[in-house]
Amino acid sequence: MTAPLLAVEGLTRRFGGLVAVSDVNLTLAQGEILGLIGPNGAGKTTVFNMLGGTFPPSAGRIRFAGTDVTGWPSHRMAQLGLTRTFQITSLFPTLSVLENVRAASYRRAKARWAGAFLRTAAWKQDEAEIGRRAEEILDFVALGHRRDMAAQALPYGEQRKLEIAVALGADPTLLLLDEPAAGMNPDEGAKLVQMIRAIRDRGVSVLLVEHHMKVVMGVCDRLVVLDHGVKIAEGAPQDVASHPEVIRVYLGREKVGA
Amino acid sequence: MTSNSRLPLIIGVAVLAILPFVVGNAYLQHMLVLWAIYALLALSLNMIVGYLGELTFGHAAFFGIGAYTSAILSMNYGMPVWLGPFAAAIVAGFFGAVIGYVALRIVGPQFAILTLGFGSILYTITNYWVDLTRGPMGISGIPPFSLPGLDIDFTRADRMYYVALIALLLVAYGCHALMSSRTGRAFIAVRENAPLAASTGIDVFHTKLLGFTIATALAGVGGALYGHYLRVITPDLMNLQYVAALIIMVIVGGKGTIIGPIIGAGIYVALLEALRVVGSLRLVVFAALLTLCVIFLPGGLVSLWRRYAGRGAAGGAA
Amino acid sequence: MDFIVFGQQIINGLVNGMGYVLIATGLTLVFGVLRIVNFAHGEFYMLGAFLTYYALTLFGVDYLVSALLATVAVAALGIGANKFFFRPLRREHEFTILLSSLGLSLLIANGAEEIFGADPKYVMSPYADEAMELGPFVVTEQRIIVFVAAAVVMAGVYWFIRYTRMGKMMQATAQNPEGAALTGINTDFVHGYTFALACGLAALAGALVGPTAMLFPTVGAWAVLKGFIVVVMGGLGSVTGALLGGLLLGVVESLGGGYISLGFKDAIGYAIIIAVLLWRPQGLFSVSRSSR
Repeated sequence: MTAPLLAVEGLTRRFGGLVAVSDVNLTLAQGEILGLIGPNGAGKTTVFNMLGGTFPPSAGRIRFAGTDVTGWPSHRMAQLGLTRTFQITSLFPTLSVLENVRAASYRRAKARWAGAFLRTAAWKQDEAEIGRRAEEILDFVALGHRRDMAAQALPYGEQRKLEIAVALGADPTLLLLDEPAAGMNPDEGAKLVQMIRAIRDRGVSVLLVEHHMKVVMGVCDRLVVLDHGVKIAEGAPQDVASHPEVIRVYLGREKVGA
Repeated sequence: MTSNSRLPLIIGVAVLAILPFVVGNAYLQHMLVLWAIYALLALSLNMIVGYLGELTFGHAAFFGIGAYTSAILSMNYGMPVWLGPFAAAIVAGFFGAVIGYVALRIVGPQFAILTLGFGSILYTITNYWVDLTRGPMGISGIPPFSLPGLDIDFTRADRMYYVALIALLLVAYGCHALMSSRTGRAFIAVRENAPLAASTGIDVFHTKLLGFTIATALAGVGGALYGHYLRVITPDLMNLQYVAALIIMVIVGGKGTIIGPIIGAGIYVALLEALRVVGSLRLVVFAALLTLCVIFLPGGLVSLWRRYAGRGAAGGAA
Repeated sequence: MDFIVFGQQIINGLVNGMGYVLIATGLTLVFGVLRIVNFAHGEFYMLGAFLTYYALTLFGVDYLVSALLATVAVAALGIGANKFFFRPLRREHEFTILLSSLGLSLLIANGAEEIFGADPKYVMSPYADEAMELGPFVVTEQRIIVFVAAAVVMAGVYWFIRYTRMGKMMQATAQNPEGAALTGINTDFVHGYTFALACGLAALAGALVGPTAMLFPTVGAWAVLKGFIVVVMGGLGSVTGALLGGLLLGVVESLGGGYISLGFKDAIGYAIIIAVLLWRPQGLFSVSRSSR
């Protein structure tokens, strides 16, 4: 049994006197799609932000791909292969769709400024490779036909797809998705499920925070349930759905397994 | 770049090269030199304002530092003049790195205020450290530019023009190369959306610091050329008028592009002369130009051409 | 240490500081309510001083009345400035708005130089030459007027913001622009009002402090930088911070100028601003964490 891709131990976060997250443990194996769910205020976003490097935990450890990344800032996490998306639509607004994905390929690019200045063959190759990769990713999310359009001019649904394309452009091994199904109708939700599966097939593991239960049940291999900052359940979706604690916590909110 | 798009560029450079002969008289040639130096300075400011997306009110200070460095080293320490621009770049870039290290931690409008404060401090020091800088009187009799072994008189505008033009073309090409490299793309990414850039692995602070330092070093180069051409410098080089002038060049020409600041510098020099008759009213004209551009044409004149030529809807770097 | 000299420095510092407070309060209000960093703010200080000068010398109006008229006139001008230079850009990036304020600043400063001439003016206030003795200290009447008038006005502003309807609307708009609009507040009107108030305060500062120094059309840049230093120290948007920061700056400058070096007096302010922004970017006196 190989070491997990992501191992979180005793994760805790305090904001002044408030304990938002307390002693959370979770692991994610290579190739897994893990869902982090829980009612509003459960601390999912806080956990997500700690994993993504927005702020450090007050206590606990985060190990990613064998390295202790506890408290690392986002860009260092990303350089290791851990990329996150944002809840509010986050793109490079005035750049074209293609340029958005190219801009994300920073850690893949090998050639430096000197290469560009001298127009070396290595640089030309590198640029061509980046371009190819960007086009391929755009085709993957079915945005190829929009490549020259300014990101801010895209309709909302396509912007969300572009966000995923940008995240993929950074060549992650683990992708953290922040409520990717927000605002989607059932049709779009189903397409999202397919997309996430396809992302996993590319070799990218996924951890998603989500409220949309159909998506969660449809795509996740395992679920972790939080409530009031504490993990209350973990396991396969069907098991978690029938877990008495989980049902109690969701009673009156959204029915699990709907 | 296809050979198709190279042709207008080659023609453009050729035209620039023969301009001194075309204009004929020394007065207009003098304006050409000023234009070339200002264009270089505008490109340096563009790196911060256009590529990094940060507004700085202290850029003229680095221009001044470059001018003073080259003047003092060549006059008091016998440094050969042709090394001046390099020394200026190093010193100005050093100050830029230190100030940038301190100031770029702050995001938002406070950054602009900070740069204003730093610029003012540098101005005050230059004004009061009379032993080094001769204070408000400034330094005069700065040796003209010279190249070792070549007996060219660079006090002449039509000779100095080529020094400035070559420097300008190198910087312009450098900017172009930068924007086609991953470093340049990182600048733009940080400008567009810094948290998103960080999530793709870009170290936002170091990227901003790098851009800021390069920009200030280039401003130093411009300062050195300016000093050895005009041969008189005063602390006023660091004042708000120069800051405003550079900002106007970049904004009116078109920030975030290479041709924009160059055009902006040309417009500035041209208007400065053409409106000489109305005296200080021309400063009002410049202010009006800036404001009109900001409100109605945020992409500058370059965006007009783009609109007319029907380029694509997307932005990015030229 | 000579107590009298020290005390004199403190008093001078407090008087200067009060001038800074007036400038900074307007600046911080505009930022708090409109979210605008107004680089042109110092120009309204300059206009306040110059209009007072012209009312006094051209029309022979009494100094204090001139100051009042200038304040009102500039406040009205402020409404126009907001309408033409900031309102059209209200949905734009703050970068654009800052640039617009730079353009406005240049327009006013250079325009003033054109119209008023670049040579310095001297505002002949009847109070500038008369001095009063406060115990062992000597203070010119003008300076007392600056301090007292400013203190009274600031108390008025404070009361206005806390207790009047418009003041509360300003607070609401500052805390949550969309929420304020949703509850029926005409935010455009609040913006105009705030801007007028801010410009009026700056103009009053210019009118009061003007007689203590020579007047140049370029004094706006000096004034706005002082304002920024105080606002950054006190925290963007914090009126209390502007009050405390302004007085603090005045005193520190005065002591520094007296005991260290007169030439570097201004540099002290810049050094302070740098130190504060590095140590506490949200300002020394602000209560909330700045999100900007």
